[in-house]
Amino acid sequence: MKKPALLVLATLAAVLVAGCQNQRAPAEQAVAAAESSLTNIRDAASHYAPDQLQQVDAQLNSAKDSLAKGDYKGVLASMPALNTAIANLRDTATAKQQEADAANAKAKDAWGPMSTDVPKMVDAISSRVDILSKSHHLPHGVTKDSLASAKSAVDSMKSAWSDASNAASSGDYATAVSKGQGVRDQASQVMQSLGMTSS
Amino acid sequence: MADDNKPAADNPYTQTHLVQSGETLSKIAEKYYGDASLYTKIFQANRDLLTDPNKIRPGQKLRIP
Repeated sequence: MKKPALLVLATLAAVLVAGCQNQRAPAEQAVAAAESSLTNIRDAASHYAPDQLQQVDAQLNSAKDSLAKGDYKGVLASMPALNTAIANLRDTATAKQQEADAANAKAKDAWGPMSTDVPKMVDAISSRVDILSKSHHLPHGVTKDSLASAKSAVDSMKSAWSDASNAASSGDYATAVSKGQGVRDQASQVMQSLGMTSS
Repeated sequence: MADDNKPAADNPYTQTHLVQSGETLSKIAEKYYGDASLYTKIFQANRDLLTDPNKIRPGQKLRIP
């Protein structure tokens, strides 16, 4: 190859390298900005949109791999899609968080009366179970088995109610009401089995 | 939840019994507990209404703990 041709090739190579180097800083900044955006929403996203977060993480990791390999052009080309994915993830997580907050507020309203009502049911059952345990003959409709089940149920209801109360104390009213409703349902069944439902 | 066996007077889930003519606390205890000797449980739960376990009147609404 003649010298002029070599000179042209060398010049082209230099231009290409210089061009790539010119894209390095923007590519690094773009990845850093995307990573920062994702960090800001990671907690909410991991809670409310974990699958979507996983996909965005994969896109970010791909961009970081390209950056490490010096493919700055590829990095910059992938940025619009990545930024859109992060924005969509933020929207999804925010919407789901708002839904959860609204549900929790509704549950908090339900917890108020439940928190005084259900313990009274359990207290009434507990009292009846204690008295029936001292009885020499069980009343009509109550068997040894149903009394034994009721005794066991009192313990499990007290335990479940403790869990519900703890959830409410921590602000998780949705869980509190869910568990509390379970205790209420169980208490209703036990009251029926002990003949406590009619006067 | 209360730890003792005495349901609160305002507990709406405590069963009640409307006293009929001729009934005694023992008969009521037998009906609800299967054991007449447990009438004292009903008496204790209704001390605000009853002063003597042998004196109940028709129409009284008794709590059955």
